[in-house]
Amino acid sequence: MLFLGCLLVNACKKSGSGNSGPHPLTFSIPAGFPAPQYTFTGNPLTQEGFELGRKLFYDGRLSKDGNFPCSSCHQQFAAFSTYDHPLSHGFNNQFTFRNAPGLFNLAWNKEMHWDGGITNIEVQPLAPLTAPNEMAEDINNVIGKLQQDDTYKKMFRAAFGSDTINSQRMLLAITQFVTSLVSANSKYDKVKLGMASFTQTEQNGYALFQSKCTGCHPEPLFTDHSFRNTGIPVDPYINDLGRMRITNKKEDSLKFKVPGLRNVALTFPYGHDGRFSSITSVLDHYSSGVQTSATLDPLLKNKIPLTNAEKFYVLEFLKTLTDSTFINDSRFAQPE
Amino acid sequence: MKLTHLLHRVNLPKLCIVLLLGTAIISCQKELKFDEEPQKDHNLVLKFKPVVLYDSVPLVLGKAYTNYFKESFTPTAFKFYVHNFQMINTDSGKIFKLANDKYYLVDFSDSASTEIKISILPYVYNRISFSIGVDSAQNVSGAQTDALDPAKGMFWTWNTGYIMAKLEGTSPKSAQAGKFEYHIGGFSGTESVLKTVNLLFPYAQNLDLKPGKTSEMFITCDAYDWFYNPWDIKISENPVISTPGELAKQVAENYSKMFTVDSVFNE
Repeated sequence: MLFLGCLLVNACKKSGSGNSGPHPLTFSIPAGFPAPQYTFTGNPLTQEGFELGRKLFYDGRLSKDGNFPCSSCHQQFAAFSTYDHPLSHGFNNQFTFRNAPGLFNLAWNKEMHWDGGITNIEVQPLAPLTAPNEMAEDINNVIGKLQQDDTYKKMFRAAFGSDTINSQRMLLAITQFVTSLVSANSKYDKVKLGMASFTQTEQNGYALFQSKCTGCHPEPLFTDHSFRNTGIPVDPYINDLGRMRITNKKEDSLKFKVPGLRNVALTFPYGHDGRFSSITSVLDHYSSGVQTSATLDPLLKNKIPLTNAEKFYVLEFLKTLTDSTFINDSRFAQPE
Repeated sequence: MKLTHLLHRVNLPKLCIVLLLGTAIISCQKELKFDEEPQKDHNLVLKFKPVVLYDSVPLVLGKAYTNYFKESFTPTAFKFYVHNFQMINTDSGKIFKLANDKYYLVDFSDSASTEIKISILPYVYNRISFSIGVDSAQNVSGAQTDALDPAKGMFWTWNTGYIMAKLEGTSPKSAQAGKFEYHIGGFSGTESVLKTVNLLFPYAQNLDLKPGKTSEMFITCDAYDWFYNPWDIKISENPVISTPGELAKQVAENYSKMFTVDSVFNE
């Protein structure tokens, strides 16, 4: 009887839903955006994969002592950067090595990290997870902890078709979540779509931005994903040589990835080590602080002269890049 | 029956005649074999054995040895990636490649990982070739599993890429807490440490791999080679090599000579 019942239930399942596998999600490319770098090849975006990635992103068990989930340094209200911290806090009261960048539009990134050391976004989570001053964990320990949890077993099965919990599936799920963090609904975007208009000061700032900043921060992503030395003197304590740490090439000394400027008003402080506390102090750096060195970017040879009024206009324009829908989107918030 | 033992017992002139006859027969067979209908594969079991001192002493993890520079060292980990196995007959120019190029991590702390079973098209071969390391495409293709699972501890997380081969342990000659660590990697451009080895069989004999049969091939891996020839790698000077670059390339060149087909047993 029981056996028969099982058969009936199974039969119903099959005919009922038609597809018992995970539910595909569409990755929509915002108007005007180029084709993304990450194409979900071998990692089809699904509702279940996204939800699993979201749970993992907010789960402290990915860290050694349970206190440092991904979200401890990547806070939604700060566009997934660390709010008001030059460097973030990691395991055992340690500082991180660099300023935590905001997480959005990551599918368009060619390389991850300020130095571009990560060539594929799927494996990026391994860096903070294993760094002794960040989450300080071991991959096998994390997988072991997840395997103890029945909820995860269910969620891995729902996302990938079986109970197997391994590093590949964990990474693919996190990738589904973080690449889904698309921010393209700022006032700037609405203006571009003809749904809003800039104030006069924002318009002045936009014109200035286009003539002075888009050499490195081209629209619509506001970064060209290149590595450049912007004349920030090296911090003698951190002694961070940037891209050269990865390539071992002298010509890459002091070069860092050009950050995208969307949500820039939320992601302070700025710079690879968070030394600039405000947008104004960054603009001051470009207009008068740039330090000359062998690898200084040619575009900054003469600095970027800006009057105080011009700085004000640029600042007002940059504020239009704040995407309040994104930072309030409940799909990206900590799951219940 | 161990082929090499058999070869010991015959005298040299006789052996030459046998070999000549052998190659004559083989050359008749070769064209036929590849044109024939598909037949049962030959099962080849590769057994990797860690050794030191020019293949003369088995290496045991945790035991102390002395390298070419009279430096004492106690290996605690010895592992490397292999893939792209090919069986070759250089006389006929025939090369057999496995249809599915799988990666294997040979880890001498895990005996199961030191045996690799592959199915070979029956034929007479005189070389085996394989690659040490992980091809550049696999270094940038994201989250992977099985041998390439980053949880295997053979993946650099902040400058992403696979560690192709690892030899580590302790040595009184190391100024770095008495430890030495050779984590050899680098996949792009001039930093590449990918190596392909081409090995003869014992006494340069040909191997006639018969359909449906199994043979075991023992391949020794000499840890001594990591330190010497053509490059001098002294623990006292370089106890830690853990980034891609010139030193990693030198060690890789050294260890690419560490393999020897020691013996072959036919069913």
